[in-house]
Amino acid sequence: MKNNKTIIFGIGNIGRQDDGLGWLFLDHLKEEGFENSDLEYRYQLQIEDAELICNYDIVIFVDAVKNELTEGYYFKTCKPSSKYGFSTHELAPETILHLANSLYNHQPKSYILGIEGVQWNLEIGLSSKAKLNFKKAKTSFIENMLSPDSVIQN
Amino acid sequence: MSKKIVIDPVTRVEGHGKVTITLDENNKVKDSFFHIVEFRGFERFIQGHPYWEAPVLVQRLCGICPVSHHLAAAKAIDQIVGLEPEDLSVPTQKIRKLLHFGQIFQSHALHFFYLASPDLLFGFDAAPTKRNVVGVAMEYPELAKKGILMRKFGQEIIKMIAGKRIHGISASPGGVHKKVTAKERDYFLNGKNIPSIEAMIEWSKEMIDFIKIYHSKNSNWLDTFAEYPSGHLGLVNKKNGFLELYDGNLRAIDAYGNITLNDIHNDDYQDYFYEGVEKWTYLKFPYLKHLGREKGWNRVGPLARLNVCEGISTPLAAFERLAFLAATDGKTNNKTMYTHWARLIEILHCAEMMKELLEDDDILSNDLVRKGERRKEGVGIIEAPRGTLIHHYEVDDKDRITRCNLIVSTTHNNEPMNQAVRWVADNVMDGKAKITESMMNQVEVAIRAYDPCLSCATHAIGQMPLEISLHDHYGNLIDLKRS
Repeated sequence: MKNNKTIIFGIGNIGRQDDGLGWLFLDHLKEEGFENSDLEYRYQLQIEDAELICNYDIVIFVDAVKNELTEGYYFKTCKPSSKYGFSTHELAPETILHLANSLYNHQPKSYILGIEGVQWNLEIGLSSKAKLNFKKAKTSFIENMLSPDSVIQN
Repeated sequence: MSKKIVIDPVTRVEGHGKVTITLDENNKVKDSFFHIVEFRGFERFIQGHPYWEAPVLVQRLCGICPVSHHLAAAKAIDQIVGLEPEDLSVPTQKIRKLLHFGQIFQSHALHFFYLASPDLLFGFDAAPTKRNVVGVAMEYPELAKKGILMRKFGQEIIKMIAGKRIHGISASPGGVHKKVTAKERDYFLNGKNIPSIEAMIEWSKEMIDFIKIYHSKNSNWLDTFAEYPSGHLGLVNKKNGFLELYDGNLRAIDAYGNITLNDIHNDDYQDYFYEGVEKWTYLKFPYLKHLGREKGWNRVGPLARLNVCEGISTPLAAFERLAFLAATDGKTNNKTMYTHWARLIEILHCAEMMKELLEDDDILSNDLVRKGERRKEGVGIIEAPRGTLIHHYEVDDKDRITRCNLIVSTTHNNEPMNQAVRWVADNVMDGKAKITESMMNQVEVAIRAYDPCLSCATHAIGQMPLEISLHDHYGNLIDLKRS
């Protein structure tokens, strides 16, 4: 990670309870002095993000997940896909990678950190379960980043 | 047995809407409706909050055009602190306008490249899997790249002035928070880090050339598709009646160019407008009181603005307006698909205005805030990308908002969009034995021309595929299609 230029997107909305997991994760990285990466907050990904990621070697998308996850989170490789949602409100990380690849011939290493959320009402603050999952995800993520055997390093 | 056709959600628009078309036993159109199915309630949320919070809170209505809500609210709050738009310092007026032009530029670019161009480039009959921005990127990569960078340019202007691309803060009561620095503005002028404002102007001209050629080749359907007579409403410059996007008088004309609202001051809007309601939608139906609900509705947005104005202040856009007018022999344009052409002329106008303002040293000044005598009420009207946007607040002696009335652009366009749906139903679907995906898409094409922003603040989580269902008149499902 030290030698690779990295951008981390936090996706979500802190006004919708657990949908704020992505943003809160970036807040945590800032508090931890995580200075090796550029951090970008997004309500939703936008088409110009395809151009932005061309300046980076590694891209990480952090977002809340509605599905139940065994560990409460996952960290997995993200691959380009031409799948397309019905509006600008839904542009998937995979589509951003696809656009970057097809328009700019750039294919950074890409990952998704998905953290399970359970409540999505118009309120600020995570649910108890999301807080627990958030804690697990950040511990794992930080350990991974600091490890010489980091998935991202490889 | 009658059938009901439902398009839910309408695709490639901002927010979530639904269309239902009911056919009788002979597949003749009985009814058609464009519904807005989400409720926001911002007019109530904001009551009790101090008035100076309004520009920050109300911009949360939308993730696409928050700047428009921010500035409309700011103009209203300026009045509450005793200031008319012309009372603000010159640097503040210019910084706010630069922010506004950046907003319209990026929003129009997003709509044209992302939402509308797939229909124009691939046609109604293309597969939905191709008829989207990914398809455009694959087959027209240079066009897509320019679209991305034009959108980015506008977003960067917003970020420079408001601190963030979405939901930033610039306006304060009677002013703006910060000036522009020389280093910040050079970023947009020198072309070292992003394509310069000169490139934006050139690309805007290219887009207009594209749409003119497209019109010349496709006039057979562009001239007639979803054409219907309507009123047109927009702001015009107070001095010369030219296109005005930030501050002007309200003017409306009928389908034939006759004045129906004669350059009224913003404060007087309530004397001229009513809002109708219907059981089947959360969106209201504004209309001019003196013409009534049936005849008093108006289109707003790019097509309406070019119809009501008497000219454009920037030379390149002014020239393009003449070509636009020539297409209808100078008559009022009621052709829905010309909205895209009008939108591109506005993109060019915004680019020209951004250049003028970026090169103006006034935006570097620290003279940013004015004060006046406190009032109990304020009205702010602005031309948002999608059309005329009205914010109106009343406050009590403790500075709390007691009443809020918002008429957003898409609300004005409610009846016009319903008319457009009805046109497609009557002219494309009526009497047909089978309703095809292409026919369905034509309903969406008609709506999409208005670039409706339906309910951006209620961000939905997860996938919502296009679902089309056929029901008999008892409500029984007889067919179902998903994208």
